[in-house]
Amino acid sequence: MIRRILSLVNKEFLHLKNDWWLPAFMLFGGALELLMIGWATSRPITNLPLMIWDMDKTPASRNLVISIENTGTFELMEPATSLEFIRDQMDRGNINAAVIIPNGFAGELNNPAGKPILQVILNGAESIPAREAQRAIEGVVWDLGQKITIQKLGVSAEQFAGFNFSLRVWFNEALNEAYFTTPAELALMLEFTILLFAALTFSREREFGTLEQLLVMPFTSLEIIIGKSIPVILVGLFDFSLMLGVVHFAFHVPIRGSILLMFSLAFMYTLVELGKGMAISVFSRSQHQSFLLVLLVGMIDFMFTGYAAPVESMPQIIQTLAYLIPAHHWLAILRGIILKGATIRELLPNVLWLLVLGSIIGYFSLRYIRKALD
Amino acid sequence: MTDNAFIQITDLTRKFKENTALNEITLDIQEGELFGLVGPDGAGKTTLLRTLAGLIGITGGTVLVAGTDLVKNPEGVKSQIGYMAQEFSLYGKLSVLENLQFFGELYNVSSSIQKERIPGLLAFADLTAFQDRRAANLSGGMKKKLALACTLLHRPPLLLLDEPTTGVDPVSRREFWNILNNLHIQGTTIIVSTPYMDEADRCSRVALIYEGRIVECDSPPAIRAKMGAEVLKVITDDWRKARAVILGLPGVQDVQSYGEAIHVLVDSVDSRSPIIKKALLDNRLDIFEMREIKPRMEEAFISFIRKMDQEN
Amino acid sequence: MSFRHLWAVIRKEIQHILRDRGSLILVLITPTVVLLLMTYALAVDIKHVPIAVLDYDQSPVSRQFIQKITAGDDLDLYTSAGSMTEIENLLLRGKIKAAIILDPGFSADLFSLQGLALQVVIDGTEPETGGFAVDHIGWRAETFANQILSTQLQASGLAVDTLQPIDLRIRAWYNPSLVPQVDLVPGLLSVVLGFPAFSVALTLAREHEHRTMEQLLATPIKRIELLLGKIIPYILAGLMNVLIIPLFAMAWFDVPFNGSFLVFLFLSVIFLFAELSMGMVIGVFMRSQSAALALSFLVVMFPGFFLTGIFFPIASLPELARMESLFLPGTQYAIITRGVFLTGIGLDVLWPYAVMLLFLGLVFTGTAALFFKKKLA
Repeated sequence: MIRRILSLVNKEFLHLKNDWWLPAFMLFGGALELLMIGWATSRPITNLPLMIWDMDKTPASRNLVISIENTGTFELMEPATSLEFIRDQMDRGNINAAVIIPNGFAGELNNPAGKPILQVILNGAESIPAREAQRAIEGVVWDLGQKITIQKLGVSAEQFAGFNFSLRVWFNEALNEAYFTTPAELALMLEFTILLFAALTFSREREFGTLEQLLVMPFTSLEIIIGKSIPVILVGLFDFSLMLGVVHFAFHVPIRGSILLMFSLAFMYTLVELGKGMAISVFSRSQHQSFLLVLLVGMIDFMFTGYAAPVESMPQIIQTLAYLIPAHHWLAILRGIILKGATIRELLPNVLWLLVLGSIIGYFSLRYIRKALD
Repeated sequence: MTDNAFIQITDLTRKFKENTALNEITLDIQEGELFGLVGPDGAGKTTLLRTLAGLIGITGGTVLVAGTDLVKNPEGVKSQIGYMAQEFSLYGKLSVLENLQFFGELYNVSSSIQKERIPGLLAFADLTAFQDRRAANLSGGMKKKLALACTLLHRPPLLLLDEPTTGVDPVSRREFWNILNNLHIQGTTIIVSTPYMDEADRCSRVALIYEGRIVECDSPPAIRAKMGAEVLKVITDDWRKARAVILGLPGVQDVQSYGEAIHVLVDSVDSRSPIIKKALLDNRLDIFEMREIKPRMEEAFISFIRKMDQEN
Repeated sequence: MSFRHLWAVIRKEIQHILRDRGSLILVLITPTVVLLLMTYALAVDIKHVPIAVLDYDQSPVSRQFIQKITAGDDLDLYTSAGSMTEIENLLLRGKIKAAIILDPGFSADLFSLQGLALQVVIDGTEPETGGFAVDHIGWRAETFANQILSTQLQASGLAVDTLQPIDLRIRAWYNPSLVPQVDLVPGLLSVVLGFPAFSVALTLAREHEHRTMEQLLATPIKRIELLLGKIIPYILAGLMNVLIIPLFAMAWFDVPFNGSFLVFLFLSVIFLFAELSMGMVIGVFMRSQSAALALSFLVVMFPGFFLTGIFFPIASLPELARMESLFLPGTQYAIITRGVFLTGIGLDVLWPYAVMLLFLGLVFTGTAALFFKKKLA
């Protein structure tokens, strides 16, 4: 039986050699993509075009502008001189926010009974930068307000330690964006690579017309399945190692946990996605269909991995459903091992879920594929 | 080499990664010929036909088709050519009629002319009853006929047919050749490639291709004559032994096996057959049949190839 | 160029599309489903962040503080921890995203204007959530401090009734409540409306794989006729999507439409031309469908989402990536969709993007036509 499986695997590699773009993409695509996208997006939001209309033109207002610049979030555009101009620029999407400092700002600021007003207009057409802009400006204004209050109360800065608290950040002291985004992107790329590759296995043969030939050969359906799985597993593990390397060496994300544990769990996860992919492969009539199904399934999983929004923020139903998605547990495991140095004890619930889900998916996939092949 | 031949091929060479498919082929084909390309698999027939159809780039040598230089202007002749690929290359999801109409459009046959010609084509291809059937659901023979019909719709002066009868039942094969003969009579230049030697006999001229080279190129009778041998058919109870025995005898040019029989190529049947008969009997072989037969293309071809191999 | 040839190819493609039921259904539903899923996945409205509190002060004030901190739905009290070890463990297991540790002198320091004697620990593996927690803890703490201290401050004769003297008036235009879906949906539309590009990438490779390419190339058809004939049916399909999906998205997600629909339609056609010819270039270079699919995934799908400013602002991308994003039709189209849906601008503002899209389309189509050889070898 082993020999037959090996001959199948051999045949697979020969086919792949003829169409060498495909294995090239499968092996290196994920890592290249991770490099490109990680490099582009694993950074804080900066350089947001900001327009300031300073009607006060006092040292105080100019200091405010400098403080805003110092947040590093903005790139200051030419100063505005009218609301129409701001409106026009914002309509064109050229600026993300505008700050209007009214005449007499400094006066109000220094007056004990004064009520200084500051106006901020955000470009809601891009809500994510808008929120970031809001945060940055609020931070600056908050600091300024505190300083004013300290002066007014006449207490010294040390006495009034300010209403700042000390902040400790665990696992990611520098709040490096890459720590968060790159493991998630790795998980995403890995899933899509395995799913796509697995989903193409049988539908390719079907479209070439060689599936019939394969089925009349003296292989049992189990042997065929194993034979076709092996290239996918190899590609999956290779891709994972490569991407892990990228994450660690290119993005400087430390790997704090056990690499052995991670690879064993990666192997398990590969099997789960392999099962899904092959089921898709047998179900679809053409490679085009396989691709679209992979897209759909992959997107569903993506939604539950909490890439952008933590799962806790989603409606309760979705949170419960998330437990049924292997990718969700896989990402928790990945993040846990890489960033928190978690051991199997802490990850046990996720691992168990993965095991259970994997077995169920695997069992049903296997049955379905065997039935379809026979 | 005539300067106004319909097709002039000079030193055509085409190399691929793994092999040299065409090796300095020089050939002239006259207008109105029914020209056969004969050779085993991989000899270069398909590559040559594809080159003439403009499907493969010419990297060495020159090819002129009806005055057009295919090196400079491969697209120029396509409207004058009807090409039939070796593998079924039509659209399985389209019906017989839809395939015909599609290719009709691409060959600039106006709708009115299409309406005129298509029923006739369907009839002679026996596909009238199947015109709405999807091409994928046709039998092998019907698929070939459909492919042929698609080449004829625009009545091109030149037909390039790559193994049109391979995989087709004998009856359809004969019908196919009847069609080709009719077209030949009407003046169409036809180049047909075939692995079947008996079909080669039906051509006005045949080129034998082997390993990318032209081994021989002449009319079938001339080729047979060139063989320079007569053929003795011998059936014994052990053909291998018989072959071994006969091979060394004087005047024997070649011994070819055909199932149980062996065909012995000798310079003269009359003078050599007694010696052969004696040799067989001396080796205790039973002779079931021994008679002279007319040389066929098959024998000619094999002997030519063997000569070539020996020279190399 | 022969329109008869062009039409023959268009007709054949449409016949094929319609006769592949499975693919047709998938192609019709995928954009809508993906739009739905991705919007839900990415519309970040962080809520219910689980935190733990370790109260060393144990005073009525500290208890009040804890209550105020967790009063809203932004921060949820997962548990009152008993020790640092417990907090460490909870963070490790991901059960909490942040923790507040109140020092023993919390209430005393507060009343003596010494400030807030507390520490916040956040799980740095989720900077968004951690940052959110820090912001909200800070804001709520400030409010709390204001309330506690206001009476005291007034008693000591200071005319400060609030610790935050500056009146910061924030308005958001086009999307007043900064609802993430509202700007995410137009952005995602630029992704899903470009999906026909995948099908286009396949169509040439399919002729190779199904062996129909040979007969096709033997005909006098010109390259440009073949390429255009193959792309046009998918532009039409894309247009159908353009008519239907935005309406659906607007209704489902409550997204406004402030511009002109005709302008949107017109610009969408140009976008489709650009995006689909990008797919065509892939199709010209890849001979197998699998390879074409894999490449489309890598070149169209992921960059189309990450680098086109839908989710991550282009201004924050490194220089090189910004230049890359310029060549993605999705970037221009995302600006167009946001402009038409949310900002309500018209052709007078959007025309440069239209020109860019047209330019990209011509470059891609030209490249495809240049590199597509009417030869088998």
